Amino acid sequence: MGAEDGPFAVTGALRKPSALDWSAATDRAQGDARQTRVIAAPKFSIFAVFLGLRTLAQYSDLLYTLSLFRLNVRYKQSVLGWAWAALQPLALMCIYTFIFAHVTTVKTGGAPYPIFVFSALLPWLFFSGAVTNAVHGLVTYPNLLTKMYFPREIIPLSYLAASLVDFLIASLIFLVLMVHYRCALTWNALYALPIFLVLAGFTAAVGLFFSAVHVRFRDVGLAMPFALQLWMFAAPVVYSVESVPIRFRHLYLLDPVAGLVENFRRVLVFGAAPNFPQLAFSSSITLAALVLAYLYFKSSEATMADVI
Amino acid sequence: MIDLQLARVGKRYKLRSDGNEPRRWYRNAFSHRSAEMWALRDVSFDVKRGEALGVVGHNGAGKTTILKLLSGITTPTRGEITIRGRLAALVEVGSGFHPELTGRENIYLHGAMLGMRRSEIARTMDSIIDFSGVAEFIDTPVKRYSSGMYVRLGFSIVAHLDPDILLLDEVLAVGDVAFQAKCIDRIAELRKKGCTIIFVSHDLAAVYRVCDRALLLSHGQVVMEGAPRPVIDQYQHMAFPSHQPAFGELDASRRAECVSVSFSSPVSDDSVRTGHPITARLQYRAAVSIPDVVFRISLYWPSGYLCAQLTNESTGQLFTLTPGSGAVEFQCPILPVVPGLYRVDVAMETNGVEIDLRQRCATLCVEAGKPVSGDFYIENTCSLRPESPDHS
Repeated sequence: MGAEDGPFAVTGALRKPSALDWSAATDRAQGDARQTRVIAAPKFSIFAVFLGLRTLAQYSDLLYTLSLFRLNVRYKQSVLGWAWAALQPLALMCIYTFIFAHVTTVKTGGAPYPIFVFSALLPWLFFSGAVTNAVHGLVTYPNLLTKMYFPREIIPLSYLAASLVDFLIASLIFLVLMVHYRCALTWNALYALPIFLVLAGFTAAVGLFFSAVHVRFRDVGLAMPFALQLWMFAAPVVYSVESVPIRFRHLYLLDPVAGLVENFRRVLVFGAAPNFPQLAFSSSITLAALVLAYLYFKSSEATMADVI
Repeated sequence: MIDLQLARVGKRYKLRSDGNEPRRWYRNAFSHRSAEMWALRDVSFDVKRGEALGVVGHNGAGKTTILKLLSGITTPTRGEITIRGRLAALVEVGSGFHPELTGRENIYLHGAMLGMRRSEIARTMDSIIDFSGVAEFIDTPVKRYSSGMYVRLGFSIVAHLDPDILLLDEVLAVGDVAFQAKCIDRIAELRKKGCTIIFVSHDLAAVYRVCDRALLLSHGQVVMEGAPRPVIDQYQHMAFPSHQPAFGELDASRRAECVSVSFSSPVSDDSVRTGHPITARLQYRAAVSIPDVVFRISLYWPSGYLCAQLTNESTGQLFTLTPGSGAVEFQCPILPVVPGLYRVDVAMETNGVEIDLRQRCATLCVEAGKPVSGDFYIENTCSLRPESPDHS
């Protein structure tokens, strides 16, 4: 026992100074544990992307909560509620089917026109819906911008996340239509997922960029419905890319939306593998657009509260 | 350990004649000259851990800009702000609420905006609801709330944050008495925990009470920094300069006027203390001779209510002024008012007709003297008188 007491006594004797050291160390550690934030004039540098993403990750709970609440309030005080998410593409499908299958005809490559158009309306409506909401999102509640701090990109991104749910509901309708028209999906349909991811990335880029511009110049919001209408007809939504004259086609497919919509339809309706070079091209454009849009957004975010 | 550091911070705002509208291409470029305004210029200061710093200054001095910069709502044009730790702003509580969402949903939303994790919010949810006192309506959309419920819910969310640094605006000025008391309790609790506090206010008495140190801003620049007392004095000196033009030249339209007012203590050298004697001296100047003059020196609480008045009317002794200058002195054997800052008005009248009235022309700072609780010190003598034991 005595031998054991020895070391204990020594430890006891040493305890005081070591405890002091330890507390000083934790003090320092706590000081370091406290996050240091530096607020300065925004710099347009690639480093800002990483810094922005780090902050965004810290506020990921807000993005989740806000997206959830977008869904929650979207159909508040409406009788049809979630049915609206299905009604819009269905109504458009009906009118386009009437025009392009009965009034006039477009080449569909053998697919029934409702399926043909719905498969493109799915990604298109996601894109246009998310962009429209995102652009108006920042200015809808100016109080949020002038009274509270959080990474502002969360607002447009939350609209994007909410549009995702509309997309899923419309996708279910699409599956029902596929069964109705006895069209079979092939394994290539799985490519729809990465194609959609790229589209979501491009949607985020467009939404971020134009929502930031909209805070300064409300022209964006005014032009948006009209610009999106033009854009839709510039993409192979109601017609097939094969109908586009060959000499315009390269120019035509510079638009990532056109390329992605075409590939989306290709893998779902025709069960073919995607056009890989085109997909790779759309992806690179998307990546570049996303980085640039985010950079612009972050540098413009700093003074949003002053100009809104 | 420095929690907060501003290094040569400047903030420029662009002022345009038509607000923030962009210039239209079809308008003449010259008709829209955009002006610039530096809301803050070269502002540098440090706040140490656990310290309470008060920021005072007139309207437009840059107080709100400092709050906005610190909370990250906008960024400085020049310079850098370094913040160590979690910062919470008790500014305009409830402004982030969404009207369509229920109270509970808004707690999640608002909490997340303040940087709380969902798990953290879920853990403190019951306590937040309890504190807010709106438990009954917690699943009702907040658009149906009264404004009081709104503020209470907003405050209870912020109160459950556990900040390292707390930004306080004029929060103490809103809400009912019970709400204010809750605010003050919570702030005191946070101070005890060693929370660093930045308090931006017009309520000078509150700054004096809460802060260890104060900063005086004027036109976007720090003009003074130090212990709250001298800074507040300097601010009041700037706000109500004693050398007003009217104090210099005798206004021809007036028959007489007050020139200055001062308070001194005949006992101690400088300070005016509760329960101690005080002499108030009002200097006047008269152009003509005036009979039956009444002088008044009024002391106002920081809240704006009249606290007390010194006047020769109460003694029934009216003065007749002769042309020239002079002073009237009030000798008070005991100053009964509690320590604090009082605003002073002086007035002069004859037969109910005002000759001169100067509002907020001075400040009286009363320091702690005899121990007192409540609003007034009551002079008394007391003695113990035991009843003689019953021997019969």
